[in-house]
Amino acid sequence: MAQSGSSKKIANSLVTASCAGVLAVYIAGYTRTQQAAEKFTAQIAERRPVVHDPSMPPIPEPFHKPEHDRPRAAAPAKKVPAAVAPKAVEVLPADPPGPTPEAVAPPEPPPVVEQKVVEPKVEAPPVPVWKDGTYTGWGYSRHGNIEASVVIEGGRIASAIISQCRTRYSCSVIDRLPPQVALRQSPDVDYVSGATQSADAFYGAVVAALGKAK
Amino acid sequence: MGTLVTIHVVRDGVEAAEAISRAFGWFHAIEERCTRFNERSELSQLTAQAGRAVPVSAILYEAVQFALLVAEETGGAFDPTVGHRMEARGFDRNHCTGKRIRSANTQEDASYRDVQLDPEHRTITLRRPLTLDLGAVAKGLAVDTAARELEAFTDFAIDAGGDLYLGGSNQHGAPWSVGIRHPRRERELIASLRVTNQAVCTSGDYERRDHILNPRTGESAGEVASATVVAPRAMLADALATAVFVLGPLKGIQLLNRVGVEGLIVTPDLECHETGGLRRVA
Repeated sequence: MAQSGSSKKIANSLVTASCAGVLAVYIAGYTRTQQAAEKFTAQIAERRPVVHDPSMPPIPEPFHKPEHDRPRAAAPAKKVPAAVAPKAVEVLPADPPGPTPEAVAPPEPPPVVEQKVVEPKVEAPPVPVWKDGTYTGWGYSRHGNIEASVVIEGGRIASAIISQCRTRYSCSVIDRLPPQVALRQSPDVDYVSGATQSADAFYGAVVAALGKAK
Repeated sequence: MGTLVTIHVVRDGVEAAEAISRAFGWFHAIEERCTRFNERSELSQLTAQAGRAVPVSAILYEAVQFALLVAEETGGAFDPTVGHRMEARGFDRNHCTGKRIRSANTQEDASYRDVQLDPEHRTITLRRPLTLDLGAVAKGLAVDTAARELEAFTDFAIDAGGDLYLGGSNQHGAPWSVGIRHPRRERELIASLRVTNQAVCTSGDYERRDHILNPRTGESAGEVASATVVAPRAMLADALATAVFVLGPLKGIQLLNRVGVEGLIVTPDLECHETGGLRRVA
């Protein structure tokens, strides 16, 4: 294996420029995301009403509008486990944002927003207990679908496998993910750069299978 | 971007759900301005007005400005004006609608030097008709602004079709582990990296062959099978992964060292070249 380079590096101006550029966009353009964000949240609420655990602290009012065109500090004082959290959407052209002083709004009719909610990643109970048995579920991606089979023994995940692979590419690239499910007692498997969609489909399949084991 | 975006906040909750929805808002906002696959996008409006100083939004200005900086740093190995050459090779369809987009009157020898920025008035002037392709930079910028939105939650992951940003630690309190796909053997990963508070972008020739062109020749870059860059921002990592594809392994590693980021480059004959500070999973 050829290697070169040094482990001690001094970042050049390109690193600084990328950080500055992101910050400039974040500050200048925050309000334009507000409309899309509110719309997204409204759609989520329609499809999956949040179930609040009465033992938990009260849910704060969502979307306190910022007083001016500045990013709002999103830092939570405490993190409240939720029954539902959005995980993924299919990114498609969104409605044009509201007019802002610096925006150049192209003359166009508003395109249609389509947002697809995928299964929530974290379930509310801190220690999930599943019913014994073998359960299957499908996960979906742009490149095809994956079925996972999950075996529950003694209320715990004994094993998980890819039982059907109907993706455009071979599922072998994510071979190492199924054992992680039992190891971690969770569908939270690693990301695989270069095979992210297959990994996400497998994750979704495990979530769907575990959903049947409750 | 035609990309499935996934956001995972490790200790999520109602507040995280709000931030996640705002983070997705960034993908919408940046996509609608920076795509060349929608003739009504702000980018397409700009490219239709060559010769004029066009006032643009902060998003488009910063994306173009950064793309030009990378073009200069890489001596044109990364060039956002490669768009018309990509169209010529068939990369001319909107992923969502299937509609074919063709730019009129683009000049074959146009380059990034034909794009002029005016920071005072925030205008962009295309000195000659050309087609800007901000694909690499725009997707990275969306990941980065989404990451900025989620910063307060410390531990999170954003995945936008191969552009990853991993904040903090995973659900087990350890650095995120990211597998890098083997470019030739589907059954294997070629490496696994430990990452925290960094972006990881991989460009491979295995999914959309020939989608990275040498801007100088217009030909498909062929010296690299897979290029992975680990950098503080996805915008930088994605652009550099593209540049490394064009430069080849040796000059590619030199570039990454010069910029101060890490990377792994795999050649078609599976020779691996990596920077010295790459953190592999033991």
